Amino acid sequence: MSSNNPEVLVCESDFDVGTEYAQLCSDLPGAGALVSFVGRVRDLNESTSVASLELQHYPGMTEKLIQQIIDQAKKSWDIDRVRVIHRVGTLCPTDQIVFVGVASAHRKEAFAAAEFIMDYLKTKATFWKRESDGHKAEWLDMKDSDIAASQRWGK
Amino acid sequence: MIKVLLFGRFCDLHDKESFEVTLTNDSTSADELRQQLSAEFPDLGRALNETQTLIAVNQEIVAINHLLKAGDEVAFLPPVTGG
Repeated sequence: MSSNNPEVLVCESDFDVGTEYAQLCSDLPGAGALVSFVGRVRDLNESTSVASLELQHYPGMTEKLIQQIIDQAKKSWDIDRVRVIHRVGTLCPTDQIVFVGVASAHRKEAFAAAEFIMDYLKTKATFWKRESDGHKAEWLDMKDSDIAASQRWGK
Repeated sequence: MIKVLLFGRFCDLHDKESFEVTLTNDSTSADELRQQLSAEFPDLGRALNETQTLIAVNQEIVAINHLLKAGDEVAFLPPVTGG
């Protein structure tokens, strides 16, 4: 699946961190800081072994909400470029789920914006995970720790 | 006609993730649609009425008293778990 939006991509296919890194800082000689985060599927979730993870989303609305999160980050911090990729479909342990990259002049802004975007992705963007241990599959609940992480930004 | 979309665990409580509903009157709110669905599908209705459920109309989160119009896409969203 391709997208014309350089900042947001929701897709089934995997991404290459090296390629994303190169694109994030290309033609940005003033960007002295580049923070990238990759979220992966763990093999254990709260002591349950994970065989696979199904990620569902609301096409159209998801991209719009991620864009709003990015726009909010740009208003809050002086950052030059942002890239968010979120995968959907069926994933397995060690698979990459999410990429957040932020380029900025200085590290403080890049770290803060990347963390803010991740916290908000977890609590605002329309994704739902169903985890399977190989026998039964169950929809996951939002974690209190994720809600707390999101609330501390006070936005 | 209203298009209804279900996501996450709501999908397990109905045989279709997407279906169409005819409104019973002209000025129906998002919450009234929810109650209309609840009367028809009690198990789904209980889940849709949970306090954390959000309602989106045409991909925008709305208040429950938002008035619907023909052709709207109404989505019921359980708490999200992305990232």
